[in-house]
Amino acid sequence: MSTTDEESGGVLRSILPPEQVDRFLGTCDDYGWPLLGLGALIAASFPVLGLEGGYYMTVLTEMFLFAILALSWDIVGGQTGYPSFGNMAFFGIGAYATAILTKDFALAFPVAFLLAGLLAVTFAAIIGIVVLRLRGHYFAIATLGVLLVAQQVSRILDITGGASGKILLETPSAETFYYLFLGVLVVEMGLVYYLSGTRFGFVLNAIRDDEEKATAMGFNTTYYKTAAWMLAGLFTGFAGAAYSLFNTFIDPQTAYNGAWNVELIAMALLGGSGTVAGPVIGAFGLHTIIELVETFAVGWQLVLLGGAVIITVIGFPKGVVGTLSEYASQMDYYKHGGMAATDTDDGSEVSADE
Amino acid sequence: MAATQFVVNGLLVGALFAGVAVGFALIWGVVDIINLAHGEMVMLGGYTSYWVLTLVTGNAEGSPLLFLATIPVAIAVLFGIGYALQRTLVSRVIGTDIFLTLLVTFGASIAIQQLAIQAWSANPRSIQVSFADPSMNLAGIVVPKMKLVAFAGALVLTALMYVFLQKTRTGRAIRAVSQNPEAAALVGIDVEHTRAVTFGVSSAIAGGIGAFIAVILNIQPQMGLIYTLKSFIIVVFGGVGSIPGALIGGLLLGSVEELVAGFASSQWTLAVSFSLLIVLLILKPKGLFGQGAEQ
Amino acid sequence: MSKATSSPATDTDSDRAVLRTDGVTKRFGGLTAVDDVDIEIHSGEIVGLIGPNGAGKSTLFNCITGTLTPDEGRVYLQGEDVTDWPEHKIARAGLGRMFQETRIFGDMTVRENLLLAAQEGGADVSSLMRRPDSSLLARTDELLDYVDLGGLAETRAGRMSFGQQKLLEFAMELMSEPEILLMDEPAGGINPSMLENLIDYIRNANEEQESTIFLIEHNMDFVMDIADRIYVLAHGERIANGTPEEIQNDQRVLDAYLGRE
Repeated sequence: MSTTDEESGGVLRSILPPEQVDRFLGTCDDYGWPLLGLGALIAASFPVLGLEGGYYMTVLTEMFLFAILALSWDIVGGQTGYPSFGNMAFFGIGAYATAILTKDFALAFPVAFLLAGLLAVTFAAIIGIVVLRLRGHYFAIATLGVLLVAQQVSRILDITGGASGKILLETPSAETFYYLFLGVLVVEMGLVYYLSGTRFGFVLNAIRDDEEKATAMGFNTTYYKTAAWMLAGLFTGFAGAAYSLFNTFIDPQTAYNGAWNVELIAMALLGGSGTVAGPVIGAFGLHTIIELVETFAVGWQLVLLGGAVIITVIGFPKGVVGTLSEYASQMDYYKHGGMAATDTDDGSEVSADE
Repeated sequence: MAATQFVVNGLLVGALFAGVAVGFALIWGVVDIINLAHGEMVMLGGYTSYWVLTLVTGNAEGSPLLFLATIPVAIAVLFGIGYALQRTLVSRVIGTDIFLTLLVTFGASIAIQQLAIQAWSANPRSIQVSFADPSMNLAGIVVPKMKLVAFAGALVLTALMYVFLQKTRTGRAIRAVSQNPEAAALVGIDVEHTRAVTFGVSSAIAGGIGAFIAVILNIQPQMGLIYTLKSFIIVVFGGVGSIPGALIGGLLLGSVEELVAGFASSQWTLAVSFSLLIVLLILKPKGLFGQGAEQ
Repeated sequence: MSKATSSPATDTDSDRAVLRTDGVTKRFGGLTAVDDVDIEIHSGEIVGLIGPNGAGKSTLFNCITGTLTPDEGRVYLQGEDVTDWPEHKIARAGLGRMFQETRIFGDMTVRENLLLAAQEGGADVSSLMRRPDSSLLARTDELLDYVDLGGLAETRAGRMSFGQQKLLEFAMELMSEPEILLMDEPAGGINPSMLENLIDYIRNANEEQESTIFLIEHNMDFVMDIADRIYVLAHGERIANGTPEEIQNDQRVLDAYLGRE
């Protein structure tokens, strides 16, 4: 992979030299916390500066929502190496939980919200016992199965309103949701950013890169995988919990949306899996594009989604952030050299069998 | 007795599941791809048959023979689609991360579904085939004739594929590529073409079965995913390399589903099937008959 | 020394053994890969494990590390019976392992690989949640300089050459300071000058840090050079045990390699 980067790099390298990109990324890294705070502040200021409930606020709120979903997926998919097709199961559980708790049990929204998150995490823990034993495509498809079964169950039960779902009338204001989603996003970004620099984060990455080696080094990978899975479940659950009221309507199709699951995977991949900024960037970008398509060519947005997924996977598997950092670190190896220690491949990747 | 009736129903429809699963297993075994767009091939086959019949008769109705005549068309069309899919998209991700291959086919699945919705609306359709006397009564068991025809059709298609793989040159090439692509290339087999042919054959069979489904059930643009997942269950059960395993798995799955639908409610069939899958994956990840995900 | 007087000495030696196996047997279907093997490694030793292909060496390793569970026999680490322990628990108890195909974490930086290997603080939650402190970072720098990978700290490990990755894997083991280090064909796939360096590194680790090492090898020069003692396995059975000189002159060993058994 590195050789093709170099071949196509010629012109690009003169316009945007790798060292500059490297420095840019390095600066972002060094100033991670301030950048996050700044971004949060800017986003928080929009309503204050006059942004009112309506189309644009909804679009922004949804961007935050998808960023949460994409980032949560990435915790398990990108950082730990367990890509799941069923994260929306947590979303649906959270969504139905608040819907039922506020409508049928007349609980206040904040209480329902927290309970919904708790429910989602518990569900994640239980499901995790089963699915986290599986690897690769078995894991992916098993999670898809979980999603479909959850959807089916919500169609059958009365308490969830069956196939017609639930309509929610007394919901908080648009601004509340704007700040709620923004808040959850900022907290999640902060948490993931912090964790990625700790031993916990390293172990997750190690599991992704070589789970057996991680075990051989003394890490109980089951604990770590489950923790990551529960973390993803928590934030996805919170997102869902807020969404049902935000949308004033929830039904099995909306709550357990398989297409959304693919969408958020595409966002994480497009932006750059395995990073903090990547999924968020991907979410903002792809959601904007899909919104535009929906405005101009209704009904085609999912076709576009399918296309976007295909293009990302084929041409762009490392996403924006990933490709940038690959590009930036191109010169690293040759600068530092190290010992030329072997007759075999120089500079090519040696990867363990999966 | 009710249970026997359910089992018979299950076997009849199970053969269809098996036929679809066999194609899914073929791609998995030969191209090493789990084709999440496989169910869409079933859907497209159903629609092909539907539209051909409509073209000929003006509406989607016809005699059994007329219907059967549309099957080769469905097969041919789907072969082409499958072949093209492999050559344009799937070939670009072979050998990369397994997840990426899943994602590409899933992306294709969504795109195809949505295009189908745009083209034909989301309303279910079905083909009406007229029999003089629609069902037979065998020792107290009601056997709808069309389902019997479909059953036979599925078995014929599966058998044809088996013969194709065992007896023809292309079939041997396919088996060679599945066992050792590099060696196959060295003896002059065009590996890419062979993989595409595999995709084509697999999609063709799925398409043929889709035509039958259009008659005995119905078709709508989003029906595919369920069939893909059922195929997955069946192949996990029967083992990736095994056609007999897929056949037995399909018949079993059909029976289980009909029993659940009969004794409980059809709403629970999916949940039951999936729980079975989870149990299977935990207990016997390599399948009961075959060698599992590596051939 | 007569056999009678050597027995009490052997008993106490066994107690001081860092690693001991007692009658370990492992079967796969009809094949007995490891057959009633006893080995003992004492603190500070470098012990080699050789034998023709298919002799059961890697299987024995896997039984020791917990990747496989022996069908019969026990494994003792520092006197404790670890036979049924899960792999990660054995590793955490002080058993390090290097792999034949050299496994490191390719997508993480070299430094992150090393930080991961440090066993300080064990696995308790608070240490997991803390960012690496300066002493830890200093240690990683030290180790990287020691194996001459200094400038590559921030490089993605997967981008390095095979030999460099091997050094990284070795450095990771040094970082974790295991009680005993199992190495699976450390000399494989690297050129002679690199091999010289590796021998020096291993000797240094053994002398200065008193690392105990148990290694599988096919490279005879390497093993004879570096090992204090050697076990020989053939057809799953232990057929010889002794110093390099003794092994080189042992007829059974020669027969096994030349296929006369």
